[in-house]
Amino acid sequence: MEPEVAFRSYLEGALDVFGIEADETERAVMSGVWSIYEPAMAELREANLSVVEPERDADLSKAPK
Amino acid sequence: MSAALDLALREQAAGVSSGELDPAELLDACLERIEARNPDLNAIVATFPEESRRMLAEAPVGPLRGVPVLIKDEWPLPWRAQTFGAPPEHLKRKAGESGPYRALRDAGAVIAGVANMHELGSSSTGNTSFYGAAHNPWDLERCPGGSSSGPAAAVAGGIVSGAVGADGLGSIRYPAAYCGLTGLKPTFGRSAMQGHHLAANTETIVSGPLCRDAADCRLLGSILIGEEFPDRDPGGARIGVIRDPYWSDCAPGVAAACEGALESLRTEIGGEVIEVELPGHELHIAAALLVAQSEDAAELTPKRLNSLSPELGVINRGLIKLRALLPTSLTARAFLVRVQARRALAELFERIDLLAWPTVPAVAPPLGEPTIELPSGITTADAGNARQGVIANLTGIPGVSVPVGLDAGMPVGLQLLGPWGSDARLLDAADALERATDREFVELRPAAVA
Repeated sequence: MEPEVAFRSYLEGALDVFGIEADETERAVMSGVWSIYEPAMAELREANLSVVEPERDADLSKAPK
Repeated sequence: MSAALDLALREQAAGVSSGELDPAELLDACLERIEARNPDLNAIVATFPEESRRMLAEAPVGPLRGVPVLIKDEWPLPWRAQTFGAPPEHLKRKAGESGPYRALRDAGAVIAGVANMHELGSSSTGNTSFYGAAHNPWDLERCPGGSSSGPAAAVAGGIVSGAVGADGLGSIRYPAAYCGLTGLKPTFGRSAMQGHHLAANTETIVSGPLCRDAADCRLLGSILIGEEFPDRDPGGARIGVIRDPYWSDCAPGVAAACEGALESLRTEIGGEVIEVELPGHELHIAAALLVAQSEDAAELTPKRLNSLSPELGVINRGLIKLRALLPTSLTARAFLVRVQARRALAELFERIDLLAWPTVPAVAPPLGEPTIELPSGITTADAGNARQGVIANLTGIPGVSVPVGLDAGMPVGLQLLGPWGSDARLLDAADALERATDREFVELRPAAVA
């Protein structure tokens, strides 16, 4: 399935499931924004992050421990 | 007195301190200039002369006593709630003392007005606001940058010499670059944030200064963090450069101006430019967007989403609802990418002192069509800008944008990034860059206000 079609299908279902109302313009915005960032999201989805040890009590003001 | 408004922030402060400038006259001149220039710039969304005069009357002796400044519509003041560039009923906040307000007040500064911003801080362009878009003083038909659009347009437009912005995904550095200013995103957690509606949850947003040069950023930045930014000779600094994509996928005029500046900086400080790589950088945009959007995700209830103000821009109405639907698994992965990015940067900063690349890949686009043309193709300004800027927010490191040239008459900014806590060192490098170019680009003024 093409990513745009797949997203539209996900969108329609998710809006229904969560009870969120959206008019056609808002749905078009959602699809448009998703299409811009979908490749980056797909890359994130597929990335091998299994080797990354979580950072406990991360302090963003300092370098990681 | 209006000529005094064209002085640097530190010169205004010195003039008031020595008695050469009358701060009441300076404030009046600032308010007059707002009246004269704001109709074109739309940089300021609220003024309150009585409260400003009260601040002046009660101003303690401090490093900015009697100097007019602006604050972005992202923090409350005792007499005005922040609206975040959106219809006031969207955030429903209350007036009160915020951290940046207290810092400015205690430094003796006078808040002359509240500066415009991109609605909900959701874009790097500044082309949408409940109050109407702010305009870039270099070309009124172009974006001023966002989300700190008003602070940048006002400083570049000569209304004030310093303004407080906020940077959640590049929102100080992009407008600084678009408007030919110096803008500092401090290390996460250092600068005043109390009163921001996300202060308790955010690990990405910081307050920071937008000024004409590094010395003024040092002054206003030190007030926001509550400690001095001592200067030091950056001699011999090792400057890391990651060519692909941060340099290679920029408009040719932007890349050329930044290359020239990089070489000038290297020569000025007797430094070294080192080509380096950053594993995993291709995941940073998605990760930063997801981490940032998670910070107020708890508020995205169906009840709230189904009663959004009809006055909220349609893009934001769609964006907010989309954010509520993003899979948690992606956000969890985003936090792992953050760990990976922080560790990779920490390792990199053992070998280099700074990273440098263009702040934005192309100059300010038209307000009505914020797209940019890059070697990789035409894209939205937001996507291109985010690629250059979000790493600082994702990881917590500081960054500064320094004006280094013009491309087709519009300002170009070079971004310098450093390790956690190196804010002062970045300003040292920005100072050196100004010296290396004889301050040519920090002294440039838009024709409209020259």
